[in-house]
Amino acid sequence: MHLSLRHISKRFGATLANDDVSLDIPPGRVLALLGENGAGKSTLMKILYGMIRPDTGDVVIDGRPVRLPSPRAAMDLGIGMVFQRFSLIPALTVRENLALANPRTPWIVGSGARRVPGLLDRLRDIAPDVDPDARVSTLPVGQIQQVELAKVLNLETRLLILDEPSAVLSDAEAERLWSLVREIAARGIGVVLITHKLADVRACADDVAVMRRGKLVGRAEAADTDAPALLRMLVGDDTVATVSAEPVRRNALPRIWIRDVSADGPSGTIRDIDLRIAPGEVLGIAGVAGNGQDTLADACAGVTALRQGEVTVDGETLFAPRLEPRNHGRVAYLPEQPIRNAVGPDLSLAVNLSLRCLRSLPWMVDRKQMAKTAADLMERFDVRPPEPGRRAETLSGGNLQKLVAARELSGSPALVVACYPTMGLDVTASAAMYARLFAMAREGCAVLWISEDLDDLLRYAHRIAVLFRGRIAGVCDAGPASRTRIGAWMTGAEAFA
Amino acid sequence: MKSAFVSSFAHSAAGRLLLSTAAFITLAAAFFLLIGRSPWEMLSLLAQAAVGDGFALTESLVRATPILLCALATALPARLGLISVGAEGQLYFGALVGTGFVLSATAVAGPLQLPSMLLAGMAGGAAWALVPTLLRTRLQINETISTLLINYVAALLVTWVVYGPWKNPASQGWPATAEFPENARLATYFDSRVHAGLWIGMAIAVVAHMILTRTRWGLGLDVLRSNPRAGVLAGLRFDRHALAVMLLGGALAGLAGIAETSTVQGRLQASFSNGAGFSGFLVAWLARNHCLRIVPMAFLVGALLAAGDGMQMLAQVPSSVTLVAQGLLFVAVLGTNGMLDRGAR
Repeated sequence: MHLSLRHISKRFGATLANDDVSLDIPPGRVLALLGENGAGKSTLMKILYGMIRPDTGDVVIDGRPVRLPSPRAAMDLGIGMVFQRFSLIPALTVRENLALANPRTPWIVGSGARRVPGLLDRLRDIAPDVDPDARVSTLPVGQIQQVELAKVLNLETRLLILDEPSAVLSDAEAERLWSLVREIAARGIGVVLITHKLADVRACADDVAVMRRGKLVGRAEAADTDAPALLRMLVGDDTVATVSAEPVRRNALPRIWIRDVSADGPSGTIRDIDLRIAPGEVLGIAGVAGNGQDTLADACAGVTALRQGEVTVDGETLFAPRLEPRNHGRVAYLPEQPIRNAVGPDLSLAVNLSLRCLRSLPWMVDRKQMAKTAADLMERFDVRPPEPGRRAETLSGGNLQKLVAARELSGSPALVVACYPTMGLDVTASAAMYARLFAMAREGCAVLWISEDLDDLLRYAHRIAVLFRGRIAGVCDAGPASRTRIGAWMTGAEAFA
Repeated sequence: MKSAFVSSFAHSAAGRLLLSTAAFITLAAAFFLLIGRSPWEMLSLLAQAAVGDGFALTESLVRATPILLCALATALPARLGLISVGAEGQLYFGALVGTGFVLSATAVAGPLQLPSMLLAGMAGGAAWALVPTLLRTRLQINETISTLLINYVAALLVTWVVYGPWKNPASQGWPATAEFPENARLATYFDSRVHAGLWIGMAIAVVAHMILTRTRWGLGLDVLRSNPRAGVLAGLRFDRHALAVMLLGGALAGLAGIAETSTVQGRLQASFSNGAGFSGFLVAWLARNHCLRIVPMAFLVGALLAAGDGMQMLAQVPSSVTLVAQGLLFVAVLGTNGMLDRGAR
């Protein structure tokens, strides 16, 4: 199937999301569609998937223009899409979710959809660790993504669109994904990879097309381009902010002591975690998703009650078992999936920004003052669009991340717990996020930074601890030399030896 | 441009009201055609029976009063995302406790009797809300189911006391308690059964609206409803807020019960509520839990129901026609709003 987009334009209010874009998608090749947040790549692909109708322009398949009034129509034409925001049903099991979306599912599926033949083949290929009878709500974000992929691959897709597929995968998972994508393309299926990561292009793409501010600004074979050239096309100039953490002053006293902590969370347990973080230190937590990262973060932020141990700030106990878990503004928390974990989706940005100081507001709330404070914060943290009255759920993933950062990092916390803080952010915004985190560290804050991007961890963190099956498998100083050791800890190869 | 104007008007409050009314009239006309009557004649008779003269109007207000309070009793928990169907039972139990107080505490006479009776009724309603609330906060038992089921217990308790221990021996077999003394009745107006409960309900609606929209506490409810996890980050405790809104709601329904019993009926009787608790639930949903919008909606539904008796005489149809009309009203308003919201997405 040879697909072309011809002269596509789409306007949302004042912004021209797609400006006369023409793009060829040949079969059997992987095309990386590269662009920053808001460059218009998602809009373009949603047009192709029938979710948005273009103002002008055509979608042409094998020389014939087609109408795409709905995703259903796109699916019937063999176009499949994996979304950045997941579309699985949390209350159902993996198997049930796959059966729901599978056209070959018979009318009677048996208890828990266990009788559908071939349902799990694709899932086994890409994610052999996923328990097919686990409820999706209990899976970590990395595994949810894999199920989502398997769901679309189960459809007889001739063109596969992947929206930021690597954003949440660990290195090993991404490797597996890339080899699978290559395999799919080799079978003559066209693949479009929406991404803002240059590494994805190197890892997987045959061709690369770059979008900036709604326009297609360049197209090339991936082998013919290098990173600096792509980056220039991406951001439009050569200045990309670089950040680095300062060397830490290792005092005798830790700022934060996570002391012998065990806790149970909905997506995993942690046992006997003992970590000390010096003032100004950035401690990275590496590990494959689902090894207790969420629970560790929740426990350190006072969201989940501890089962054992304590978390102390400057020697003072902040959280402990049987102590009402209450955050006294000493811990700033950037949880993963902010829409689910950190904001009220249908509340205004102003209310969401004042969440942390809600209890210290006057009894009669001054909404004007609140909106003014919010507008200031949003300008400082570049949250777009800067409209305090807008509902949080209307923001893009990257801007939600910035919104939560604006709320959490604007106080004076002793500890910052950041989970995948740059997820969904483009190059520039990621650099800004790192710069803010390290600025907090420079002011004496301890930073606990959970990430699956080992490159970034090695580059920016002072030390790295590896979580494996809810325990710390090892801690070492960050540096290129540590990579193999960390890799071994992450996979359990050296488990507690 | 023109279609944008039409669309924004349709989504405004006035537009929604207009479209809902049109949908209701269409549905009601279809229903009257179905039972073989002229829609125009029946609709005008309905209007006449509801608000046609002074008597009809005041009876509509009387009917609207407990519905108004019960709607507020539903809207308050709903602001926290709790769907309580318990106003009916809270109303009965409030009436029971309030009546019990008047029957037993003969010592409290004079001007103190009325307020203390009202407080007893409110306490009764709140107590009836306490059980489902604790089941919800301690054991995660769905509050909708438990409030619904416990309603029947309260109604049957009232039936039992009026047939049994509290039956007035002087009433010659009629199952009711003794009459309330003059001191234990709310003031009435316009030479009718309209009583002070109406003003109290309207005042509570205004105060509740202010508290919910202007205060820190109301904001906290919004946050907890929207995302309990975000509420934890804000240092809010769901359980405490759940207890507060459920008990306050229960108290309002209890107030409705004791006011209706003492002032309108003058004695406690079985099945006295006429479904005011459930009608209140409908009204809260029609008004989308907006305390100010509840007031006109309660009057509308109260008028519809009050028109039932008049319709029986004027049009020779069973009074249950107005129950059908109430259902159609619900479908019309929710259907219209649902379609508008769907289009907006």
